[in-house]
Amino acid sequence: MEITSQDFKAVSGAKLKDEKLQKALFQAKDGFVVSRAKVIKDLDNFETIRQAASDVRDHCLAHLDEYLEAWESQAKASGTVVHWAESYEELNALVVKIAQDNQVKKIIKSKSMVGEETGLNKYVEGHGIEVKETDLGEYIIQQAGEYPSHIIAPATHKSKEDVSDLFAEKHQRPRLEDAEKLTHEAREILRPHFLDADMGITGANFMIAETGSTVIVTNEGNGRMTTTMPRVHVAISSIEKCIPTLDDFALMMRLLPRSATGQVISNYVSMTTGPKREGDHDGPEEFHVIILDVGRTRVLGSELRDALRCIRCGACMNHCPVYQNVGGHAYGWVYPGPIGSVLTPAYNGIENAIDLPNAATLCNQCGVVCPVKIPLPDLMRKLREKQYEKDLKSKTEKWSIKLWAYLAVRPKLYSIVTRVMARAGKMLGGSSGQIKTMIFAAQEWTKHRDLPTPRGRTFRDIYVNNKKVNKR
Amino acid sequence: MRVGLFVTCLADLMRPSIGLAALELLERAGCEVIFPENQTCCGQPAYNAGDRHTARDLARKVVSEFSDVDYVVIPSGSCGGMIKTHYEDLLGDSPDDEAKVQWLSARTYELTDFLVNVLNVDSFDTSFQGTITYHDSCAGLRELGVKEQPRKLLRSLPYVELKEMPGAEQCCGFGGTFSVKYGDISSRIVDLKCDDVESTEADALVLGDLGCMLNIEGKLRRRGNHKTKVLHIAEVLTGRNGEETE
Amino acid sequence: MSARENILSRIRSANKVGEIRDAIGGAVEDRLTTHPASPLPDLTWNDTERFKQRCEDAASTLDEISQMDDVPEAVSRYLTENNLPTSLVCWPEFKKLLWSKSNVEAEIRSALGDDKVGVTGSYCAVAETGTLVLLSGQEHHATTSLLPETHIAVVRRNRIVKTMEEAWQLIRSEVGSLPRQVAFISGPSRTADIEMTLVYGAHGPFRVHVIIVDS
Repeated sequence: MEITSQDFKAVSGAKLKDEKLQKALFQAKDGFVVSRAKVIKDLDNFETIRQAASDVRDHCLAHLDEYLEAWESQAKASGTVVHWAESYEELNALVVKIAQDNQVKKIIKSKSMVGEETGLNKYVEGHGIEVKETDLGEYIIQQAGEYPSHIIAPATHKSKEDVSDLFAEKHQRPRLEDAEKLTHEAREILRPHFLDADMGITGANFMIAETGSTVIVTNEGNGRMTTTMPRVHVAISSIEKCIPTLDDFALMMRLLPRSATGQVISNYVSMTTGPKREGDHDGPEEFHVIILDVGRTRVLGSELRDALRCIRCGACMNHCPVYQNVGGHAYGWVYPGPIGSVLTPAYNGIENAIDLPNAATLCNQCGVVCPVKIPLPDLMRKLREKQYEKDLKSKTEKWSIKLWAYLAVRPKLYSIVTRVMARAGKMLGGSSGQIKTMIFAAQEWTKHRDLPTPRGRTFRDIYVNNKKVNKR
Repeated sequence: MRVGLFVTCLADLMRPSIGLAALELLERAGCEVIFPENQTCCGQPAYNAGDRHTARDLARKVVSEFSDVDYVVIPSGSCGGMIKTHYEDLLGDSPDDEAKVQWLSARTYELTDFLVNVLNVDSFDTSFQGTITYHDSCAGLRELGVKEQPRKLLRSLPYVELKEMPGAEQCCGFGGTFSVKYGDISSRIVDLKCDDVESTEADALVLGDLGCMLNIEGKLRRRGNHKTKVLHIAEVLTGRNGEETE
Repeated sequence: MSARENILSRIRSANKVGEIRDAIGGAVEDRLTTHPASPLPDLTWNDTERFKQRCEDAASTLDEISQMDDVPEAVSRYLTENNLPTSLVCWPEFKKLLWSKSNVEAEIRSALGDDKVGVTGSYCAVAETGTLVLLSGQEHHATTSLLPETHIAVVRRNRIVKTMEEAWQLIRSEVGSLPRQVAFISGPSRTADIEMTLVYGAHGPFRVHVIIVDS
């Protein structure tokens, strides 16, 4: 997917003014945050489990080569065809090749964020093969010609009215206004495609090294359909999705649905190991898995390594005050919110997403809800350090900090300057006690809010003076 | 016990009554309070801007200024969090600094945490009357675990009713330079915070961090709300209204 | 070099294999063969009660009967009460049941797109989450629990295990290697992709009815 993260400022400004979007974001925030909080309480030892999951992910990353090899050998033993891809182009080309080798005309697809990264749909369609997204949210945005604004609720930026209009136009049927009727219309439209598609593409939430399996976690059942109905199934995944054992998977499943949708478990957890077996009535004749590494190994060897623990639940964005107000599209690439602010520059180059690690209050609402304890604010800060080293920070910010620090290490001068500032600031505020306008960088403050004035004297002045008085 | 007071650069410059109130609370509880007069800034602005080198200089300065006290107390979760949870990342690569940082970080407390968990103070001389709603500042809450401490102190006040706002733990949108670099996003976040504050109809919003205070008070006033007082918890506990310079 | 070799070699170099990592050799082998358990939450509930509770939470409906021979009657009762068609497809394991006696027309085959009701068994069920565990295989048509609007699942009471971990242990000891697909099903298909409104019957069944059998 093309990256537009450099437009963050302009786009986020527009998103703040988009009332329909604001309504949708407000609904989503309420839903996700409240339901997660409820269902977390269901585990008496949530923090212990969370730590264990974080440890498992770390262990796995430390031995990723060994686990991937173990996974591959098990997968091959069950008849899976394993491919590796080092670029988006390579992955896309592999998919098309598999499709062409099998005379595939139509593909049904279950949600895959890796597929969003590689721009798979456009590529495959460019080779004359039809692709139908089947997750309702993905289907909606595919029809609208957009891309996901959230990793687990791709169409969360769309209102029901938007969907009504869209379906009426695309389906050429009477306009429906009820979420249930709209959902069932999509079901009706998509059902024949499930039955006659030649190939299914899914992502993989996890790859299990112990058994060579891939797993997808869905609520709608489209994932099960996609892995069961067509004669060819291709799962696309990336190297960091590998976990050691089935037991480790059980651990992850206590956290993923809870953190993602506030469910105890998602409706359909489908674990696939190889193609159709002898005597089976259903399942694909061929099962391919393509494992991608774009950016991952680079991150593995960097200070941002912890980000690879991510299990793509979306809790960080759901709880992020910035995401909650600007939505996912402002971030300009596949992954929005705090994890996106780390992965987007990490995978695409920090110079291509300057704003993202800076557009955060570092409130750590993301860090405390992350089921695998990724220290997201620390990682964003590390990216800021990288920007600083590469001289990518704004000059104003850089020199303001330098000036401040110049004073701060010279206490005598500092005390004089702050004494003057306290007096001048008090005068500026006048009788209201609020400064209404300021200049230079500070004007951004008073553009939006007052600045309560200093009180005329610094603490240091008062303290030193009181000390003198007491001595006398 | 010798307690070093790190008053914070923001309180020193903008609101000295917070420092005076903290000083008074500690002295009344019998502490010998040391105020190293050369103290300035903990280095957080530089640290969060990615200027590690500058942040490190300022961190070293703080470490050396508080090397002979039993405790360091800070009327701010944000600066407290900086020293207690981030100095090790900044200075940890030199074994000499690392030992000093660990020593300091173990002794560093946010003011209300110190009052409740070290001094066990529970009676205050305060004239404040009315309803109070408390905003949890991000660093205090999520880096230092300051949640119950201020509420316990506020509940102990005879004429105060504590009224929780919805989303008390939600960030106010300050975020240091974030507030000016992404002014319109920051403004939207603090607007929502003001809605929550006002929904309680409390007489005063009380918090433990001056950054959030300036942000929320500034927004309330800009919205035309001149009624809701915005006070630091130390001011409330010592009967100050935030105005006097003494 | 192939993509595979390149990727693996980049991982090794990122992980400093040979410098730092080799100090803990054998860890992978160990973990894969012993699959150590992770910390579990409190599991002191009654398994059947917990399973039933969680089924209901997941919007499944429930019935309990004493023996396998009563399945047709229970199915018939459920279908009639809910005004659902009484012709269905089911797994071969229910071939010998006297369906016609309960006025149910049962076919033993995979479900197709038009079938309205599918009856399956289950390999086991997980109490912690109210989950049916279905293994694909010659006798276990996957489409039967997927394509029809109504899925009826028969669960033997003594096959209700506490956790997913226990389900894996059972599969390891009884089946050995995994079948093509292990499907964990917890309630009817759903989505909330339009304005967070919960709607059942997104692509899979609108209804899941669980019949717990004693013997």
